[in-house]
Amino acid sequence: MTSRRGFLKAGGLALFGIGMGGVPGFLVDAVAGIKQPGLFERKKILVCIFQRGAMDGLMAVTPFTDEYLKTARPSLFMSAAKTSANKPLIDLDGHFGLHPSMSAFEQVFREKRMGIVHGIGSPNNTRSHFDAQDYMESGTPFKKGTESGWLNRAVGLLGHDGATPLRGVSLTSSLPRSFYGDNPAVAISSLQDFNIQMKGNISGANMAAKSFEDLYDQTSSGLLKETGKESFEAIKMLQKTDIKNYKPANGATYPNSALGNSLKQIAQLIKMNVGMEVAFAESGGWDTHFNQGRETGIFARNVNDLSDSIMAFWLDMGTLQDDVTVMTMTEFGRTVKQNGTGGTDHGRASCNFILGNGVNGGLVHGIVKPLAIENLEDGRDLAVTTDFRAVFSEVADKHLRINNDKVLFPDWSGEKIGVMS
Amino acid sequence: MKTSTRILFSSILVLLLAALCSFFKKELAAGKLVLPYKQAGLTERQAAEHLLSRFTYGPKAGDIERVLKIGLEKWFMQQLEGNLEDEDLNKMLIQYDDINLSNTEVENKYPTAARVLRMAIKDGTINKDSVNKGDQAAYRKQIKDYMELNGLKPQQELYRQFINQKILRAAYTNNQLRELLTDFWFNHFNVSLTKNQCASFIPAFERDVIRPNVTGKFNDLLLATAKSPAMLIYLDNFSSSGQPVAIARKDSALIKNGDVSNKIKKVQPKKKQGGLNENYAREVMELHTLGVDGGYTQNDVTQAARVLTGWTIAPMGEDGYGAGIKKLIDNVGEENLEKRGFVHQGDFLFVPTRHDNEEKVVLGKRFSANGGYDEGVALLYMLALHPSTAKFISKKIATRFVSDQPSPKLVNKMAKTFSKTDGDIKQVLITMVSSAEFWNVDALREKTKSPFELAISAVRSLDAQIIQPYQLYSWINKMGQKMYYYQAPTGFPDRGQYWINTGALLNRMNFGLALASQRIPGVHIDLAALNNHHEPESAEAALTTYSKIIMPERNLDATIKRLKPMLKDPDLDKKVEMAAEKNAAMVPVNDTSGNVKKARAGKKEEMQNSELAQVVGVILGSPEFQRK
Repeated sequence: MTSRRGFLKAGGLALFGIGMGGVPGFLVDAVAGIKQPGLFERKKILVCIFQRGAMDGLMAVTPFTDEYLKTARPSLFMSAAKTSANKPLIDLDGHFGLHPSMSAFEQVFREKRMGIVHGIGSPNNTRSHFDAQDYMESGTPFKKGTESGWLNRAVGLLGHDGATPLRGVSLTSSLPRSFYGDNPAVAISSLQDFNIQMKGNISGANMAAKSFEDLYDQTSSGLLKETGKESFEAIKMLQKTDIKNYKPANGATYPNSALGNSLKQIAQLIKMNVGMEVAFAESGGWDTHFNQGRETGIFARNVNDLSDSIMAFWLDMGTLQDDVTVMTMTEFGRTVKQNGTGGTDHGRASCNFILGNGVNGGLVHGIVKPLAIENLEDGRDLAVTTDFRAVFSEVADKHLRINNDKVLFPDWSGEKIGVMS
Repeated sequence: MKTSTRILFSSILVLLLAALCSFFKKELAAGKLVLPYKQAGLTERQAAEHLLSRFTYGPKAGDIERVLKIGLEKWFMQQLEGNLEDEDLNKMLIQYDDINLSNTEVENKYPTAARVLRMAIKDGTINKDSVNKGDQAAYRKQIKDYMELNGLKPQQELYRQFINQKILRAAYTNNQLRELLTDFWFNHFNVSLTKNQCASFIPAFERDVIRPNVTGKFNDLLLATAKSPAMLIYLDNFSSSGQPVAIARKDSALIKNGDVSNKIKKVQPKKKQGGLNENYAREVMELHTLGVDGGYTQNDVTQAARVLTGWTIAPMGEDGYGAGIKKLIDNVGEENLEKRGFVHQGDFLFVPTRHDNEEKVVLGKRFSANGGYDEGVALLYMLALHPSTAKFISKKIATRFVSDQPSPKLVNKMAKTFSKTDGDIKQVLITMVSSAEFWNVDALREKTKSPFELAISAVRSLDAQIIQPYQLYSWINKMGQKMYYYQAPTGFPDRGQYWINTGALLNRMNFGLALASQRIPGVHIDLAALNNHHEPESAEAALTTYSKIIMPERNLDATIKRLKPMLKDPDLDKKVEMAAEKNAAMVPVNDTSGNVKKARAGKKEEMQNSELAQVVGVILGSPEFQRK
């Protein structure tokens, strides 16, 4: 439930978000006033989804009018033309078509809540999964020794005191590179496990919890004492809700997949109001060297899971949608030409999806030149025309109000491209 | 006259001084180590405990007495030598014998999934059109059968053995310090299983590169890491070359026809290969030697990268790593390699045709043209002995063994030893442990155990029998230390703040409870045996007794005081009873009522026993046990 204040604030900011001119001064003041910390609890939340393995951006969002692509991918190319045999691409703008298995995205794209950036990637041309993920997550594409991840730095730049230990949460079994660093960030693989546990011995667990709470409260080590306190506060926050029997709002149904479960738990954390501001989840299986399929097959299943999971989350957010932006990312794209085994190999640029009411949506941003060989990077790959940092920093800036790019992405000083309004 | 007398006198003085110096040197070499714990106000027992908590994975019952008997100084020197017998451990390790395979053998036995697939397609076992199509379960079975038939194993199995051996070694080796140092130096020269290309070389990296060098000269360690396949791939130096080239073609053409520069130009690389890669050069300065403020510039990085071009990996096995290079070696002929300026040592290969032959200048030192392999060795030697390195390494060692924030005075002392002894790690450690700072009251319990240290110290303190080490690994991962999978070359940060966060701390508490109540499969404990089968008279007595067994020589008054009320809970028995009933009811027994009763009774007994387990679990999860 949104408080009246929260609603007013959300609505107010949304007005700015769409970029309407002539917003009445009293409203500006009202919003500015409400922005004072302490008047309301809920903060903006950025949800990042890393698609590990390198998604084929040219199949997710296909420039279907490109004849070169058609030639390069005789058995992978799809068209937007409605034929009886196959599901066509979803024509977004007469040039780009969304994979038919991502039909869940169509509505939000048409409503201009979803933006796509095509030709996005890293200036470092490594085609190693490890290196490219490492660079994208550290946010420093030419420096391996960077200690922190960009999302950890984002947490540090939020600019207000967050007493909650759950400001940055990764729904993974161990902390991803993006969250490495000194600012609070927690890896939680399952919310249900976030408690003192003695299987089948509830009273024992309660007693142990009480003992631990006392012990940590009294310890001479400041670090253990503070963190102990935070931990028990976090448990109490999470215990307010029946996590196990969670019912998503608005009839949202999450796919029973790793990503679906992660996003469901992120939704729960958001609704519990535990002070989470940056969330992270993963999606795997994008390294499609073999028979990636077309309307059906492994790629179709992957994009279907991705879009259905995100849209279930979005529906579940309901009135909280104004507070949330979802952004996908992947380490690189795949070769323009299909390979000898019905798949694609490691390439350069891919595309990403950004969903939120503050997004400059309904557009495919970025530059994708005709895929003639002279326009390709190293004569084989979709060229990187937008540095991923341009997009990540803009989303962080506009949604989380972080505007210190020097810290967020040191060594970067490029232009933003207007993916947020 | 006067002058010559003076000279004579001063000569005698110098001689005398020299003799005196060599005398002291011999004294030190003979192991006359002095540990100044008394000056710090510690008893011998307390000092023994401090030594054990810093130079082992935690004291086992009776360890303090053992150290006292051997003598503190002698015990430390023994640990530094690291030659104690380890028969029991070695017996346990037999089941994980694949960690002894050479890199080539690993390549042959544990191919990547992608290579298995290529092999199976090549053999005609699998039709390439069937991959990712149709029945996935059937496909997986096909792959599995193919691997079994050809004696191949999934890489995950190798990593499992590798992780298991680490846990067993840490828990059971008598050479505890050697094991701690192996962990320390591995983390300093971190490589990661997350990078597939280098992952299968990591067991050999720890075994052959790190472990034998942990108390030797820092330079040897540095050079060994620089030449190891794991590091060469992890930080990309294997691919770094003087000019962008299509490797195999250019090299073979060069060798067959002498100068064929025209031909080379015609060779159009399909994918840009090679070229200069600065990753290793940067990190070797920033992370391995000088430190980020060590006084080098971007230009030094580039120049150093050029010095290290041509350092790569020798081909392995028939179908394994480096097929392109193999062709090149075959063309030159193994017997001609040295003549042609190649250096082939084990898995390391220096390829002169990929080396940048121009002059370079790094940190002011000139490396003249055509320096070949040797200039890389000289560069690393220079870096290893640089004053910034002495400081950086000393600080890192002090941070590991003394305090999260070691005093500059201590670091300087250690750095001085480092420089004086040409980077002798053993001597640096001796300086550290002989310093007042090591024994300072502020340093006691200052360090927070890493999750790995916590798990192993708990196992050691309970004298647990580890049947399935991997079960512990899952917990260590949950507590925030996915060993061997830390992605960044920095290695895990070595400070309490990094380890202690909300989720991790809860998991530490849960780990204690799970271990003590025997809920970690494959890790057996016998709490009664730990107390020589003396049953404590009361829960309170149990608390005192077991606290002292698990954390000897610590002031546990506060811990015990806090825990007592938990045991005095007047409703405890009732609660236990109720919980037992509830649990029994939850057990699905659709047999006769007699069995239900039996299950209940058993459960009840278990619950009462579990009271002790609970006490022990809380001790293991207590703040005091998180410190070392």
